[in-house]
Amino acid sequence: MQITKNTANGRLSMALSGRLDTNTAPELEEELKLDGVNEIVFDFAELEYISSAGLRILMTAQKAMMACGGKMTIEHPNDMVKGVFDMTGLSTVFTIAP
Amino acid sequence: MNKRWKTFARVAAAVYAALLVFSWNALTDRARRQTESMLDYAMLDLDATLNGSIDTMLMHTAMSIIEQLGTPRSLPQDEISLIARQRDLDEVNIIARDGTILASNDAALVGDNMGNKPKSAEFLVLTNGVRQALSHHFRRGAHNPEVRRKYVGVAFPGGDGLVQVGIDESRVIGMFPSIMGFIFDEWLLGEKGFFLCANMFDGHLISNPARHRDEARFLAETGYDVENPNIVEDGETTFRMRLFGDLCDCRARLFCGHRIVAALPPAEYYSTRTFYVLLVAGVLGLVMLAFVILVRRIDISSGRLQAFYAAEDDRRAKEFAIASTIQNAALPGPLPPSEEFSLAAEMNPAKEVGGDFYDYFRLDDTHFAFLVADVSGKGVTGALYMMTSKTLIKDTLTTIHDPAEALTKVNGELCANNPANMFLTAWVGVLDLETGVVTYANAGHNPPVKVEGRNTEFVTPKSGPVLAFMDGFRYKSFSLRLAPGESLFLYTDGVTEALDASGALFGEDRLRDALAASPNGDPTSLCRVVRAVVSAFAQGVAQADDITVLAVRRNGGDHGAGMSRSFPATQAGIAAASAFLDEVAEAAYGKAADGFPVSALPTLHVVLDEVAANVVMYSGAKDFEVRVRAIIGEDGTREAEIAVSDNGVPFDPLAHSDPDTTLPAADRPIGGLGIMMVRKMSDSISYKRDGDRNVLVVRCREKKSRPRAT
Repeated sequence: MQITKNTANGRLSMALSGRLDTNTAPELEEELKLDGVNEIVFDFAELEYISSAGLRILMTAQKAMMACGGKMTIEHPNDMVKGVFDMTGLSTVFTIAP
Repeated sequence: MNKRWKTFARVAAAVYAALLVFSWNALTDRARRQTESMLDYAMLDLDATLNGSIDTMLMHTAMSIIEQLGTPRSLPQDEISLIARQRDLDEVNIIARDGTILASNDAALVGDNMGNKPKSAEFLVLTNGVRQALSHHFRRGAHNPEVRRKYVGVAFPGGDGLVQVGIDESRVIGMFPSIMGFIFDEWLLGEKGFFLCANMFDGHLISNPARHRDEARFLAETGYDVENPNIVEDGETTFRMRLFGDLCDCRARLFCGHRIVAALPPAEYYSTRTFYVLLVAGVLGLVMLAFVILVRRIDISSGRLQAFYAAEDDRRAKEFAIASTIQNAALPGPLPPSEEFSLAAEMNPAKEVGGDFYDYFRLDDTHFAFLVADVSGKGVTGALYMMTSKTLIKDTLTTIHDPAEALTKVNGELCANNPANMFLTAWVGVLDLETGVVTYANAGHNPPVKVEGRNTEFVTPKSGPVLAFMDGFRYKSFSLRLAPGESLFLYTDGVTEALDASGALFGEDRLRDALAASPNGDPTSLCRVVRAVVSAFAQGVAQADDITVLAVRRNGGDHGAGMSRSFPATQAGIAAASAFLDEVAEAAYGKAADGFPVSALPTLHVVLDEVAANVVMYSGAKDFEVRVRAIIGEDGTREAEIAVSDNGVPFDPLAHSDPDTTLPAADRPIGGLGIMMVRKMSDSISYKRDGDRNVLVVRCREKKSRPRAT
């Protein structure tokens, strides 16, 4: 998995490509520095699939944003990823942009 | 047999004894009643005779006085006293029509009127000119209460007064032997009975029965015991007394100073009782004997019948043995193990040989035929017909590979030559070993079951008629596809129509349950499980029909794509397993028969990731094995199967409930999501503990680029 990130004015943008699974989740966790961040934007356009290990990180991030009054957006997930959000009920929790 | 005879003899003896006792009692009762009535009659007769004799004597005496006097008139006292004395009378009264006593040997009575005393007044009826005579019994008179006197009155002609004469009992006693002796001497009671008459005071017999004339002079010598407490001498009570050696039924009465005994010896009536009882015993005995002989003959006949049945049973058993031999000889032997498919079959004949059979044989390198059939007839005929049909089907199918065409031809030949009007049902399938497609045709047979893990499904396209029934019928072929690992289970109606003790049918639902419960879907196991479940259901009830089962499974599943590999139970192991999945998919992609469902690859990755992570985190196993294979479903859809196994602690992830995804994100427990995702993303999932290993098998189909949404 490759992670491209950009932080500006408390806004963290991350573009993920490849697979977010047990194997790669620790990388994302490593990259996800939330100090001073009040908005996260994930670009999943290039993300092949996501497993529960990835979901846990997303849920942790979402909780952190909710706690500090910030917000988190997930952009361009593919059908597979959207399907996972749907089946886990997370599509109602996350803000998803098509 | 012996026991039966003993029982029979006991019953017969009891019946015999009961009848004898009954007739004895009935006849005894009859004899007793006859004795009683005879004695009643005797006593009445005796009374009439005794009184009648004295009455007659007194009447004659009175009439002699009337003749002497001519008309009622007064007489000097000495003259009337003389009349009385001459005639041995104790009292003589001459009475006028108006009741006045004109003359009497008792001077005190002269001048009295008869009408003044009630008893005496009764005699005045003789003055009515109609009644001639009147007699009274001995009674104590008003004149002297100590004397019992008897009166008789006789009317003067025209009722013009009357003569009343009286005689005291004491005087009669003296006269008794001379008056009465002769009566008793020849007077028989019935045929054997007799009278005794003896003086009450000295016991001197005035009468002896003719039969015992010289045997006794005194009553005591006859055996009559006046002191016996049983005797009641009232003339009405019967008692038993031994007289002249015989125990007689007796009645006794006292009369005029005499004891008169009427006696009936037992010979009179009781001898007839004995005679009749003996008669009954004899006749009954003969009847019983005749009955016993009859029963014995019936028994012999039934013995012959039993022997006949035994011979018949023996014949049937032999026929059964012959038919069994034919039936078993006709069944094919076990197949050499094959990588492409495996097969198991079993036939369990019922108590009578039915016509079940199964067959399987290779048609060529890539086609394998298998069938199950049930001939309608039983016994040797059924077995022979089965033999013919089996050979015919095999020969035809070997030439014509299509089951429907083969059945059409076989049907024609069977119809052309079917004198016994037999028929058979058959399900014939031909398995293409390369594609797993089974082409089949059905002639009235039970629908087979397709078994895939725990999924079972009846194969129920429209069936043709039974064979040898409708000439010219064209059977149709259908097809289904066995993916590697899937089985087809064939059976005869002996399975679904097996009965339990209450008469309930085994039925199709129980069959499906049994097949689904088979621990691993290999044919031997399927057959064994179904047999065992049917046996448990029947609980020893003998089944009327053969029970035949056949299962065939398409093996393999490699098809160039199925591969397995072990990985250490670590983070690195999970990564390596993921890479292995890609490797398998790439290797299998585009393969002619069973290409890998590439569209399902992301889903498969997520599934593998979740399952492997689960093993690594929770099982405690050192390593885990992943097997991946591509298979093709019945409808041609490609599927991929991932099996992950480990030797860690037993853990069935399917037994755990899904996390609650409706909770707000902040409240959600993190974890448990993985297994839920695997469940929702896969098309089938199963867990089993195989020995010391957890085995989780997940399948995903192609065209499923997008998992189902909830």
